[in-house]
Amino acid sequence: MPDMIVEATVNGRKIKKIAQTHQRLLDFVREELELTGTKDGCGAGECGACSMFVDGRLVKSCLVPVGKAQGSEVETIEGLGRTGELSVMQKAFHKAGASQCGYCIPGMVMAATAAIRVNPAVGDEEIKERLGGNICRCTGYQKIFDAVGLARDVMNGRLPATALDEDAAEGGRYIGANVRRLDAPSKVSGALKYAGDQVMPQMLHVQVLRSPHAHARIVSIDTSEAEAMEGVEAVVTSADVPGKDGFGVFVHDQPIMARGKVRYVGEAIAAVAAEDLLTAKRALQKIRIEWEQLAGLFDPDEAMQAGAPVVHDYAPDNLVKHIPIRKGDVERGFAEADLVIEERFETQQVEHAYLEPEAGIGYVDPDGVVTIVSPSQNITHHRHMLAEILAMPINKVRFVMSPVGGGFGGKEDMIYQGMLALLAIKSRRPVKLVFTREESIATTAKRHPSRTSYRMGLTNDGRIVASEIRVIYDGGAYGMSTEGVIRKGAILAAGPYAVPNVKIDTYGVYTNNTPSGAFRSFGSLQTQFATESMLDMAAENLGLDPFEIRRINAMQAGDLTHTKQELKSVSLLQCLDGAEKASGWETGAPTVRGATREDLDGEGCRKPCRLGARFHAEIPAPKLSEVA
Amino acid sequence: MALKRGRGVAGGWYGIARTASIDRASTWAELDDGGTAKVVTGVTEIGEGILTVLAQIAAEELGVRPWEVTIGDNDTARAPEAAHAGATRQTYMIGNSVALACREARQRLYEQMADHWGVEVSSLASRDGEIWSEGSNHRCTMREAVDISKKRGVVPVGSANFTAHHTGLDGQDGSGRPWQAYVFGAQVAEVEVDTMTGEVQVLGIWAAHDVGRAVNPKGVEGQIEGGVVQAIGQGLMEHYETKDGRTTTPGFAKYILPTALDVPKVTSVIVEDPDPIGPLGVKGIGEPAMVPTIPAVMNAIYDAIGVRITSLPATPDKIVEALRKKNESAKAVQSAA
Repeated sequence: MPDMIVEATVNGRKIKKIAQTHQRLLDFVREELELTGTKDGCGAGECGACSMFVDGRLVKSCLVPVGKAQGSEVETIEGLGRTGELSVMQKAFHKAGASQCGYCIPGMVMAATAAIRVNPAVGDEEIKERLGGNICRCTGYQKIFDAVGLARDVMNGRLPATALDEDAAEGGRYIGANVRRLDAPSKVSGALKYAGDQVMPQMLHVQVLRSPHAHARIVSIDTSEAEAMEGVEAVVTSADVPGKDGFGVFVHDQPIMARGKVRYVGEAIAAVAAEDLLTAKRALQKIRIEWEQLAGLFDPDEAMQAGAPVVHDYAPDNLVKHIPIRKGDVERGFAEADLVIEERFETQQVEHAYLEPEAGIGYVDPDGVVTIVSPSQNITHHRHMLAEILAMPINKVRFVMSPVGGGFGGKEDMIYQGMLALLAIKSRRPVKLVFTREESIATTAKRHPSRTSYRMGLTNDGRIVASEIRVIYDGGAYGMSTEGVIRKGAILAAGPYAVPNVKIDTYGVYTNNTPSGAFRSFGSLQTQFATESMLDMAAENLGLDPFEIRRINAMQAGDLTHTKQELKSVSLLQCLDGAEKASGWETGAPTVRGATREDLDGEGCRKPCRLGARFHAEIPAPKLSEVA
Repeated sequence: MALKRGRGVAGGWYGIARTASIDRASTWAELDDGGTAKVVTGVTEIGEGILTVLAQIAAEELGVRPWEVTIGDNDTARAPEAAHAGATRQTYMIGNSVALACREARQRLYEQMADHWGVEVSSLASRDGEIWSEGSNHRCTMREAVDISKKRGVVPVGSANFTAHHTGLDGQDGSGRPWQAYVFGAQVAEVEVDTMTGEVQVLGIWAAHDVGRAVNPKGVEGQIEGGVVQAIGQGLMEHYETKDGRTTTPGFAKYILPTALDVPKVTSVIVEDPDPIGPLGVKGIGEPAMVPTIPAVMNAIYDAIGVRITSLPATPDKIVEALRKKNESAKAVQSAA
């Protein structure tokens, strides 16, 4: 690639640097200027994490070729607090609790700053419109709206600057106080270094060769041509694993890289460490693989049928795990019931979509300790597994947590750290891997899709007397957290209700779909969605208010759970009371009475979104005759 | 265009910390020079604000201020095991272990100060960077107290472990004690459904959740708001799709996420039913926050238009199709009559 010289003003300082013509403004700022506050979230202009100002205009810098910034004035997140003090907007984000993982926050602060610059009196609804191009996965946006409103009011003098200060904790009582997040200044300023922001001397760049097939046998892998390339320092495959090759949260069924066969599209097959990213990418194209196609298995019901393709030899029935729960006698319960409802429910596969794609650095320290720095949610377990995989003593393997830019369960699996370890050992140099958004979406674990068959029996007074629940969860190609997910899904399936007769069966199965893994609420979201829908269907049938039917059945202190555990305290009634009171709920059976309700559109509601309606026209709209 | 409104409610419950197996977390604590504190534990901040929560707990237990606490976080070669960031366990497991470790460090300091002042250990108290003996005029800063303790040859350190005693499930009937702490919640959703386009807008969520004891109420709200919005994503728009195992939703242009324009106003009601087992009474909120949202929204859609969505997500095309089927069957009933 030819080089070019870029001259521009960045955060008030003139710069003159060599850039590569294919670089985006985002790459140039992060790599050549080492200003890593601006984040790369999607590389496609869809998430807004890379927002910055160019000649005063808010842009998504992943869409700007660096040549376009020639001679321009660029302002990044680092430019906002140039005096060493946070800007009013940054302080407002700190005060409002608007940053959680922090990865979207620099871009969000830039978009918020733009909103105020464009319209210093920006209204609450217009704020939402102006932040519409920036995705946050943690906060639910509410605290971000609060922050922008707070900054606006302080800048306009409607609130004193002290509104941004820490609230005093009464009598030094800090438990229960709204202490401002201690890590927020580092996040709102862009100073915090996530794994992808970190560099080490002599560091190599890693790329991963991934399977184009869902189910295929690897007849042979030839890496010789890739290894011979100038700039390539190491290539690894499963043949480089010295120890017992397998990881997973419950069953260690996944090799660091495909061993013998691939089980899903996107599975890692080989990894390359090279002097630069482009060389590593080119080397992937030089790896030759001979394939033998196998029949794919994509439907979880089909997985349970005899004769279905087998994903793992150790599980010829494709079953990861079955969890049974039995209490009382459901058939007797249904016989006592006045009303029996049956329904089927389905939930889909869902992506965690944390704004920080997977990234990590691996190196061998001077004492021979293999060290992995990554945004992992479970480094304790990763260390155990990697020590076995590398056949090393456990104190010679070290995991360091880097700031986690969102996890939600998706960063519990050790899906790339093993490759970093192998490459660091083989190359004797630090290695770094950063996933693209597409790589993150296509190859990492998802929320388990589920199919639930539900049968609930109730008496006319609203008591549930029997619940029979059968759920099949698609675990995809590897076990990951499936066993735990279907266990939690089973234990909580029948809801926080005292049901005397319960029969629950949850199944986790293997398929050749993208693996399913841990995801916030871990299998129970699927089953409780079904239970809470069933309760409303029953309430309509029985003419009961939906709060009432839940109160009638609510577990109370001293009751046994579905797994026959005695509960010492149960707060469900307090929660039902709290939600009912706060919402000003109008009592009545759920009989499609939306049109006649009188509790709608209260102060706890936002305005519905009507496209474009939030921008106030500054110039009166011309009359139609004038336009014509 | 017909815009219809409706409301729905749903409850939910959740177990705190690792399921059906013993859970544990440990911490080292030190009252440090200058009256500051050092707390080292294998905690993993994933955005929920656990570092601030732990600093608040340590500050209150030691008698210093949160910003004077340095948390040494997760590094398998530098911090004691506190295990993973998940299962809604960090405030419960690690929070309680931090409290216990800080109490031990504080006790070590108190013993030195009681001896130094010639008073009973039980008369000592500390708060906001000061330590004193109740019923006397002995009082000094934490900075001075740490200095006195060290000159007497004692570094005020402590360590602790917190255990949650869970049992596995029976293989036949599933009986067991999977958790020692449970939380509950309930949410009301209000929606507007456009019957022409099938679009659903969630306008309001009222979310009441038991957290045991809220260490940082604003942080709890943040977890509820974030959980609600993730659930709305799954309920209405998100769908990772594959064809023959290959994804057809490879980027955010195809995989649709909630933006600032999609989110409801969320009113949080924090319920505090203290955990009777742990020293702090805290429980957790990360995962349970999103459990009632989807069924509450689906129940609200039913309330608005009489259509029950049993297959997620409730996309506009599914709503329109369900309405069409409903109208057809209504017409069939009419013509049959």
